[in-house]
Amino acid sequence: MSGAATWISAADVPALYEGAKFYAPAVGDAGRSSLTSWLTGLLEREGPVALHRVETMAPETPCVSLCVLGSGSALADLPPAGDEFVAAIRQIEQLQGVRFGAVYPLAAATVSALVPVAAAAQLGVPLLDADGMGRAFALIHHTAMYLAGISPTPLVAFGPTGDSVLVDARTGARADRLLRAGLDTLGGWAALASYPTTAGALRRGALPGTISRIANVGRVLLQQTDPDLLISRLAAITGCRRLGRGRISELEQLSRPSDGSIPAHPSSVVIDETDGRRRQLRIELRSEIVAVFANGELIAGAPDLLCLVDATRGTLATLDNLERGDLVDVLVTPGDAVWYSDEGMAMVGLNFHGIPLDHPRRLRGEP
Amino acid sequence: MSRTGEFAHVGVSLHPERSYAVVVHGAAVLPVEPARADLDGTIASAVRTAIGEFPDGPFAVTVDLAPMLLDAITRADSALPRVAVIRVVPRPATDPALARSPAALVERRVARRFTVAGGHDLLGNELCPLDHGRLEEICAELAAGSIRHVAIVAAGSQARPGHERGVADAIQTAMPGARISAASEYGGHGLVAREATVVLDCALSGVAEQLVDRCERVLSRLPGEFQLRVARGDGGYTTASRIRTMPVVAFGATDALEVCGAAYLEGLADCRVLLSRDGAQVAGEVRHGLAQVSLAESAGIGTELVVPTAVLTPERDVTPTGVPGRMPDVPVVRARHAPELLACVGAAVSSPTSWLDEVAFIESADELRSVRRDAEERATAFVTANGAAPGTAFFAEVSTVAVPYSPAGTVRIRVRVAGTPDIGLSRPLLEAP
Repeated sequence: MSGAATWISAADVPALYEGAKFYAPAVGDAGRSSLTSWLTGLLEREGPVALHRVETMAPETPCVSLCVLGSGSALADLPPAGDEFVAAIRQIEQLQGVRFGAVYPLAAATVSALVPVAAAAQLGVPLLDADGMGRAFALIHHTAMYLAGISPTPLVAFGPTGDSVLVDARTGARADRLLRAGLDTLGGWAALASYPTTAGALRRGALPGTISRIANVGRVLLQQTDPDLLISRLAAITGCRRLGRGRISELEQLSRPSDGSIPAHPSSVVIDETDGRRRQLRIELRSEIVAVFANGELIAGAPDLLCLVDATRGTLATLDNLERGDLVDVLVTPGDAVWYSDEGMAMVGLNFHGIPLDHPRRLRGEP
Repeated sequence: MSRTGEFAHVGVSLHPERSYAVVVHGAAVLPVEPARADLDGTIASAVRTAIGEFPDGPFAVTVDLAPMLLDAITRADSALPRVAVIRVVPRPATDPALARSPAALVERRVARRFTVAGGHDLLGNELCPLDHGRLEEICAELAAGSIRHVAIVAAGSQARPGHERGVADAIQTAMPGARISAASEYGGHGLVAREATVVLDCALSGVAEQLVDRCERVLSRLPGEFQLRVARGDGGYTTASRIRTMPVVAFGATDALEVCGAAYLEGLADCRVLLSRDGAQVAGEVRHGLAQVSLAESAGIGTELVVPTAVLTPERDVTPTGVPGRMPDVPVVRARHAPELLACVGAAVSSPTSWLDEVAFIESADELRSVRRDAEERATAFVTANGAAPGTAFFAEVSTVAVPYSPAGTVRIRVRVAGTPDIGLSRPLLEAP
């Protein structure tokens, strides 16, 4: 990706993949080679995809978001046939009588950052350098667009079985619940086309520059270097900082009663710091890391982006692949500013995850 | 760490151009210099060395087949059989890249690909009935052709193998002599990784069998009592008979053996090991005498497999003292011997191991405990079948993590078990792991 006109080519795929993982560290690499091979082949065959800033598009341009809904493990075990994302878009086009002029990721993170590139190549339309989350949140209405008043519906979830679900709901929360009810039947994952809107609406509703950002982060991660150097380089791009380094001493499941509204069990990881203050860090997990406590004190939490770096390998440690004894760095990266607003905090902050504590930023008197 | 106790253990690393061996007896490590460095000469020379130096038998001979298996796959003029692949998924891929393996080395072994409608989700719920009509067509086509090696992978077969077994039964009926590999025999995650595993399994079956047969013939001609073991990708070992049925388990063993061999020579059970690879430095980790392993892409293959192999990562940072500083709490070992010798030592001191990686659905802490206990019991049974003395199995790793973005209650369970070598002892080992 370079120059005034920005393009995503096959050569960018490895960096996109790695950077996307940084912004959704929950999901491991099962199926990585298949998906990256698919996207690389598409970009070699169809040519590079144009990446446009939202403000460069005509305001009336119809746009639609794409993501993978559901589990990365399900996707790995039942890879896409390849037509699911375009099929989902076509159904909304048919319903609304429009032709979308651009696609954008619902979440510029995990494989959900890659599939809009694939769909853009298949459809021959540009990709917008913007998304709705700036990371991955678990529910489809946890987006900047929704905060800006843009509806996620009508939406279509097209599954690997060839079945699809069309949802039109009064609220985002109801749309999400209706979708989840059918997700298992669709195969555990689905291509989700949602938030059909215009480029003009996205100028005020989407988070800009997030595809470029993951590509830049990915290039740093691909250098596979010493963790200390890696973190300092990541910090220059993302503003991340290390909360601590230690060995995992415990992985707890079902550490609290399950909350049906979040699509994962609450669980915890305990890390004993190996240097510095020798604190015990407790990491609270849902689908992503939602809070970090040090000796019982909350030191970071949603909507911060929290991730683990494998300190022995200098690579991201994904949450489905942790073992006791692993040496990890705990990183915190500020989320996009919108998430620290009162509305954002109410939507995706600690309280939403069942942790009734003020965010450390608020305690420090920061906005 | 596996201890050799009071018996001599032979470690052998088979390479296409020559083979290597050492004899290990406690702290004593004797490299073998055979007059003939082929498989037969090396094993015979190593065993004679063991008998000469340590006359009290019995002896164990652990062989690393991995370099030979990798050579068989990568060699341009490879005589490996071509494989027919049958994927059981709800719909066929619409893009050529999604229809094939992303690994060229794997795809080179594939003569024909078929898709049969069917499959289950991760938790074993049927997504699509098995298309018996299409299956009959495929059976007829294969029976009329020359391909006799068939790899089968069905979506969700690790949770519910019914469709996969249905396909395997139909193929076996149509082609009674066919060599069939089914992904459910290996478990694991990811259709592409599971498919690559069974393609290699199928393709390598002949060469693995020939190598094991040769090793057994050599040992049968030698005086004394010997047990043949074969190194696994995770640095442990299994029996020759299991490698005959699941040859891909031996794939990629060398890295783990080198890491464990270097640690053993330093007398360390927990350390970071620095090795040289093509002029660069890589690092592996040893915990409790076992190499740290993962299901990452195996070097030189280009795709993930579902048999774990050692994790080696580039290591470029060196402190002014010459010691990498990223892991201050464990010793760092810089390998000081040839990689072939390290691999032989690692093989000689290896333990029987097993690995289990599954997804389960649980609704309570009690159910979680029950599911874990069941997984642990099965992994323990596997390690005993792989050569562990009954009652000696210990859990090197048990992890249960929620599967992100899945319905509440979906967990991934991984169990890694090791045991004390069972070499038909009439006396107990001096040291337990």
